[in-house]
Amino acid sequence: MATATNDAQLSPPTRRYSASKRLLPYLLSLPALLVCIGILIPFFTAVFYSLQRFRLSQPWNRSMNWGENYLNFLSDPDFWNTLQISLTYAFLTVGLELLLGLAIALLLQKPTRLNNFVSIMLLMPLMTAPALAALMWKLMTNPNFGILSYFATVIGFDDMRWGASPDTALFTVILVDIWVYTPFMMILLLAGLRSLPKQPFEAAALDGVPKIQQFWRITLPMLTPYILTASLFRLLDSIQQFDIIYALTQGGPGDKLMVFQVEAYLNFFQSTNVGRSAALLMILWALTFFLSNIFIKNWLRLRERARGEV
Amino acid sequence: MDHAPIWERWLRGVALILVVLFFMFPIFWILVMSVQTNETILRSPPSMAFEPTLQNYQALITGKLETQAGSLDIAFMQNLWNSVLLSVCSVALALVLGVPAAYAFARHKFRGSEDIAFTLLSFRFAPPLLVLLPLTLYFQDIGLADTYVGLIWVYQLICLPLILWIVRGYFEDISPDIEHAYRIAGHSWLSTFRRIALPLAGPGIAAAGLLAFIFAWNNFIFALVLASADKQPVTVGALAFVTASGIQYGQIAAAVVLSIAPTLALALYAQRYLVEGLSLGAVKG
Amino acid sequence: MYEKEKGLVDAFLRGQMDRRSLIRGLGALGVSAATAGVLVNSAATRALAADFDWKKHSGKSLKLLLNKHPYTDAMIANLDNFKELSGMDVEYDVFPEDVYFDKVTAALSSRSSEYDAFMTGAYMTWTYGPAGWVVDHNEWIQDESKTNPNYNWGDMLEGVRKSCAWNGRPGGELGSDDAMQWCIPWGYEQNNLSYNADMLEKAGVGVPTNMDELLEAAAKVQAANDGIYGIGVRGSRSWATIHPGFLSAYANLGENDLTVSSDGKLAAAMNTDVSKDFHAKWVKMIQDSGASDWSTHTWYQVGTDLGAGKSAMIYDADILGYFMNGGENAMAGKLAYAPFAAKGGDPTPNIWIWSLAMSKFSKDLDATWNFMQWASGPEHGLFGASQMDFVNPVRSSVWADDGFRQRLADSYPGYVEMHDVSAPGASIKFTAQPLFFDLTTEWAASLQKMVSKEVPIDEGLDQLADSVNRQLKDAGLG
Repeated sequence: MATATNDAQLSPPTRRYSASKRLLPYLLSLPALLVCIGILIPFFTAVFYSLQRFRLSQPWNRSMNWGENYLNFLSDPDFWNTLQISLTYAFLTVGLELLLGLAIALLLQKPTRLNNFVSIMLLMPLMTAPALAALMWKLMTNPNFGILSYFATVIGFDDMRWGASPDTALFTVILVDIWVYTPFMMILLLAGLRSLPKQPFEAAALDGVPKIQQFWRITLPMLTPYILTASLFRLLDSIQQFDIIYALTQGGPGDKLMVFQVEAYLNFFQSTNVGRSAALLMILWALTFFLSNIFIKNWLRLRERARGEV
Repeated sequence: MDHAPIWERWLRGVALILVVLFFMFPIFWILVMSVQTNETILRSPPSMAFEPTLQNYQALITGKLETQAGSLDIAFMQNLWNSVLLSVCSVALALVLGVPAAYAFARHKFRGSEDIAFTLLSFRFAPPLLVLLPLTLYFQDIGLADTYVGLIWVYQLICLPLILWIVRGYFEDISPDIEHAYRIAGHSWLSTFRRIALPLAGPGIAAAGLLAFIFAWNNFIFALVLASADKQPVTVGALAFVTASGIQYGQIAAAVVLSIAPTLALALYAQRYLVEGLSLGAVKG
Repeated sequence: MYEKEKGLVDAFLRGQMDRRSLIRGLGALGVSAATAGVLVNSAATRALAADFDWKKHSGKSLKLLLNKHPYTDAMIANLDNFKELSGMDVEYDVFPEDVYFDKVTAALSSRSSEYDAFMTGAYMTWTYGPAGWVVDHNEWIQDESKTNPNYNWGDMLEGVRKSCAWNGRPGGELGSDDAMQWCIPWGYEQNNLSYNADMLEKAGVGVPTNMDELLEAAAKVQAANDGIYGIGVRGSRSWATIHPGFLSAYANLGENDLTVSSDGKLAAAMNTDVSKDFHAKWVKMIQDSGASDWSTHTWYQVGTDLGAGKSAMIYDADILGYFMNGGENAMAGKLAYAPFAAKGGDPTPNIWIWSLAMSKFSKDLDATWNFMQWASGPEHGLFGASQMDFVNPVRSSVWADDGFRQRLADSYPGYVEMHDVSAPGASIKFTAQPLFFDLTTEWAASLQKMVSKEVPIDEGLDQLADSVNRQLKDAGLG
């Protein structure tokens, strides 16, 4: 980390206020921290719940059972199904959105009027709340009057059942997710592409390096911090996906789309099984924490390297 | 690139058209649905031949839906107003709290700064439900249940980490030299921050604020769990068109259009900041 | 204001004028039929005040949590009469049904004192009651100082009233002597057939009277009409898929969801031979003649499709068919109704009961009860049923009202007969126990897997029974 150099750069003009100087950064970040911690106190309550046998409809049974909720997961096929679906969903959506977002960003890289206009238009799906987007797609895939169902029939998929069939349910929710969130990827990556320095490309062009090679050797490595930031934010949202799936299929058909948040939501609100619901969410939290840690470590490393190189 | 071969330009053109089609068609279609009556929407196969009507919008805006089954009260405009209020206030608060903190993390590498920064970001990891459910109990005790203040506070879970992370990257990209020069000229820290650092980071702050606004606007679950009917945002309000005597598809469509419109207007207005402002994390050439 | 009108209405109430001349008289004064209804009720409400001190809690204020529903609309339309009668103020929050029950759970589990009373279903009180969120309403019903003498609790249909009472013991019989009245019935739904008479006629099939006929009729009517499917039933991954037609047919065949042993232990009963056979038929019915997106269908898709002429029949709540016969629905005025028994003979529909319950966290339960007894009382019931869409009423006195019966008979062919035939056998057929929502939702998920052929029916039901038994054991119930 560049701690030492930064401190040196920032050596104050006068040394008189060095005490308050040292306190300043803490003072600046304290309010933000306090506000977040205030909301996060319930987090510890949730940890406590997750260690209990706690079902609202059976208050007389409430007791500490320590890790039993977690241990039960080991032998619970529903839990493993949830874990698998959540990870599949998260990696498929983030992966596809990354590819698509990158491709679109490359298409729109040159800041022409048309490209700028298109990039703003493409933000529209992002402006649509996922819950409402799911509703829109539900209308469009209605087998009676849905326009997409009609198109499907026209191109020969007579029996396209979208979210209603176990074969296409995952495809359908991923499609909606892609529709909503690819613009987010696209805009972050576009910002990255447009801020890349020109010299390496000019040099490479002079050396006659083909464009494809330029992409792999220069664009992609320099873009990596952006890719990681964008993917991180998407991954956090995606692994916690609720709105789209709940609105489209409530986790069905069968258990096909029972991701963590849907399962935990149903566990709390329908079954009022607070202990299990909290334990599920704790696992989800641990999972996101773990995944994002990897991302951030790499991100910081890449940033430092990018700085070092220039 | 100006001398790209003709096939490449064609390919790009076709790809662009496909992209625009995929992302724009649903919006277009919802727009079309929003000016139809339920009757014409429910035709199969779907068709573009219909008499456009503004009755759906009229019903939403006046709050009265006249059907043969009687008139129906719609609180949609209140929902819309709640969304505006919650999103604007949340983003404003997040900016007030987040920008100084982001500046601190970018400029002052202090003991534990990475840890605190990571902790703040990690609030984004907490599944909303995990926090929300016990929170209802606490809010009840401290009197924040069913208040805008309580909601705006909770919305910081979405807004603050996003702003912190993006603005911090932006500050780090700006060379501190100008600030140093200004301070050496005898100006206070505060005026340096206000006169130099903030304006320089303007596009980054605007872009982060815009993204935070979008995520706040799109939130669904916080208000539902924590507040009463008169404080619900559009995302909950748009569900109200499912009635016993049928689903009001036209109104759902119009509600979706109305709920996208404000964020879209904002994005159009702030577009020049968006791409520029998001260029975080790399060194300017 | 309204002095002339009030004079007319009072004359009507004194029996000096028949209803028709009253409405005509009011019409001459420029009063619409619905307003006239409110006025009549206002007079009836004034008459109420004679025997009971309604004003005891005057000046107090209540807040209700309500679901967006015609019952709610009917109540709100009449609410001013209650305010005048009691001198109390009533506020309310109305939430869309998609999120309504989650909102109730959030409010009650956080012990919020914001809402004094709320709408609920009887099943929900199997959670709310043991959790200590609702009161035993018997305490108020039986207290003569708190309940008006004309409340007439005995007027409530017996099956409905009992279905809202449970002693809290897992597997305990509904409406037993030691049962607590967790909620007060408000309006209810029997699950029967609503059908499109033209479509059935075109296919030349009669109204089915047992399970086999239902399958056959659904297939035939689908084949004979273009672009429709035969029968609408719910299919979303929710407990709500099980409770309407599905459980009504299931219970009619003599099957149970769970069995209760003599020592009070519960065990799954979905994997009997009769049950397997029934599941096979039900699944085949959906595969052959159900909606192609059945697995996403909640009550409103089931209803909307019937109303839009996309399906020929529904085996679901009778009031759903009722609503589809009005409004702007394409098939308005073309629907008809019939009772249905899977085994043939007397129908025994499972029922859904929209009820009212007082929150234990209310700050003034006595004042809240004032509202409760008015909202579930015979006057409002009659007003709602005859002037608004407050069907089906839960009071036999309302069902005995000629005006109401006539109104139904005129526009809803077969509806009154269907109700009269089914009412004696209508009650909740589930076993009351705290895991109701877990187990029933899982049942729905299993059904989805069977319909999509992910799992064979025998195997699916055995797996379901195993899983149910395991969960019952875990919860200390099995």
